[in-house]
Amino acid sequence: MGRYGLRFVALGYLAALVAFPVALVFWRAFEAGLGEAWASVTTPGALHALWLSVLIACIAVPLNTIFGVLCALAIVRRRFRGHGLVNTVVDLPLALSPVVVGLALILVYGRNGWLGDTLADLGVRVIFALPGMVLATVFISLPFVVREVVPVLREIGDEQEQAASTLGASGWQTFWRITLPAIRWGIAYGVVLTTARTLGEFGAVSVVSGHLAGRTNTLTLHVEERFQSFDPVGTYSASVLLALLAVATLLAMNLFRPKEEEE
Amino acid sequence: MAISIRNVTKTFGSFAALEDVSLEVEYGSLTALLGPSGSGKSTLLRVIAGLEQPDAGEIVISGEDATGVAPQNRGVGFVFQHYAAFKHMTVRDNVAFGLTIRKRPKAEISARVDELLELVQLQPFARRYPAQLSGGQRQRMALARALAVEPRVLLLDEPFGALDARVRAELREWLRRLHEEVHVTTVFVTHDQEEAMEVADQVALMNKGRIEQVGGPRELYEQPETEFVMSFIGPVNRVGDSWVRPHDLDLLPEPVEDADEAMIERIVHLGFEVRVELVCADGTKLRAQITREHCEELELEAGQILWVRADRERIFA
Repeated sequence: MGRYGLRFVALGYLAALVAFPVALVFWRAFEAGLGEAWASVTTPGALHALWLSVLIACIAVPLNTIFGVLCALAIVRRRFRGHGLVNTVVDLPLALSPVVVGLALILVYGRNGWLGDTLADLGVRVIFALPGMVLATVFISLPFVVREVVPVLREIGDEQEQAASTLGASGWQTFWRITLPAIRWGIAYGVVLTTARTLGEFGAVSVVSGHLAGRTNTLTLHVEERFQSFDPVGTYSASVLLALLAVATLLAMNLFRPKEEEE
Repeated sequence: MAISIRNVTKTFGSFAALEDVSLEVEYGSLTALLGPSGSGKSTLLRVIAGLEQPDAGEIVISGEDATGVAPQNRGVGFVFQHYAAFKHMTVRDNVAFGLTIRKRPKAEISARVDELLELVQLQPFARRYPAQLSGGQRQRMALARALAVEPRVLLLDEPFGALDARVRAELREWLRRLHEEVHVTTVFVTHDQEEAMEVADQVALMNKGRIEQVGGPRELYEQPETEFVMSFIGPVNRVGDSWVRPHDLDLLPEPVEDADEAMIERIVHLGFEVRVELVCADGTKLRAQITREHCEELELEAGQILWVRADRERIFA
């Protein structure tokens, strides 16, 4: 009886907190029929928002993957001054509120910001444009690859790398042939988490985007904009699209799960 | 000399791992670096491989100064205690690694790998992953991998340390035979004096970052230069200021000159030999080792009084 009780509590909790609200989103999206929902996610504004979200992810995820692997290697394999500082600063984006991140970026790159004049002279627009949104997204999703790769690197140790070097491999060859294959699952997890975070980011991007419909709206911002415009079908069908992207990333994560041969 | 280590010093923080260590290793020899843990033997091996940089001194390999040379250019093969197997590669790819890196022709690599797999008796396992091998098999794979690149010297860091006693004994003998076949200059680290004595033709005994004595196994056993060497290599008794091996104690039924009276506390049967544990009149405990036959002749039993004479005592300054 106790077993079933526990199960009931767990399922009930999940249902109330997660499943029911999400289900309602789906129901509201398709309330007026599939055609209606389809029409509202294929409007130019919605399509542009989808494209922008994917574009930002396509820039931010590779950047954070490369940086994350390098940063993890530095944290685990090198001893240098400021080691602890790097380790702490990497976690900063997890601790800071996204709104603060957005505001900080405006302070640096905004028209009256620290780099504002320089950027204006160069004719580069960062805030209220794509570069700012990419910066905000990179900042927010920075720690995931690092945090996934660091423990894997620690666990595999450096003996395999040393063995490779005594066998004649250069640093670069050792990285490609030994280190990278050994940490690939860690990287894969990190990439999935980064992608999910990137697609779902709202706060920081909202601050730096300027909400220019059809120009600087990502999918999350589009959802908000539709909601403010009292367009329930538009709001919920775009939400469903976001949810589907999230489900796709979760499925990808399951595909990447290490196989049996990996001990 | 295949390897010359000259006045090498290495410290980790405030810990002196190596203090002014010098050692010569002849071509084709099999040398053991023996010592208790923390004696610096592994550090010395890693310095030879280039995996650690010495603070002072130099390493010369085959007549060339190798001190500042990166490990990948030293021409050394290194075998780690915990195998350092490339887990994502098959046994075959592990062994081929060094040759693949050197971009040798495929056919050549394949032939060489076959040869090595046969040498270490792993042909049937060529397609397996390291996780599917036993410890002994993984270590043989690691050896084949190190030998594949035809290193000028082969370095083994406690190669059998992680294996159980039976596999260890097997691999020891196998290493000895392998060395006779391949004849590559080999240096291996061990904390097990029996392993060093059985496998090596030269033993360097290390203690606290220094080499205490270098010599053949027999030399170290029979002519130890220091107390440490005497007590590390084989069992010893301390009698006053002098040291004596258990088998150098004569047990006599009657008193003679220079013999001390002692009582038998315990008799331990070890097979061919018998260990007799004695306590002298002044409370000194002694262990004598005699053959079983001799023990029967003397009709020894616990509680008996007899006389003990040290045959070959040694006094170290």
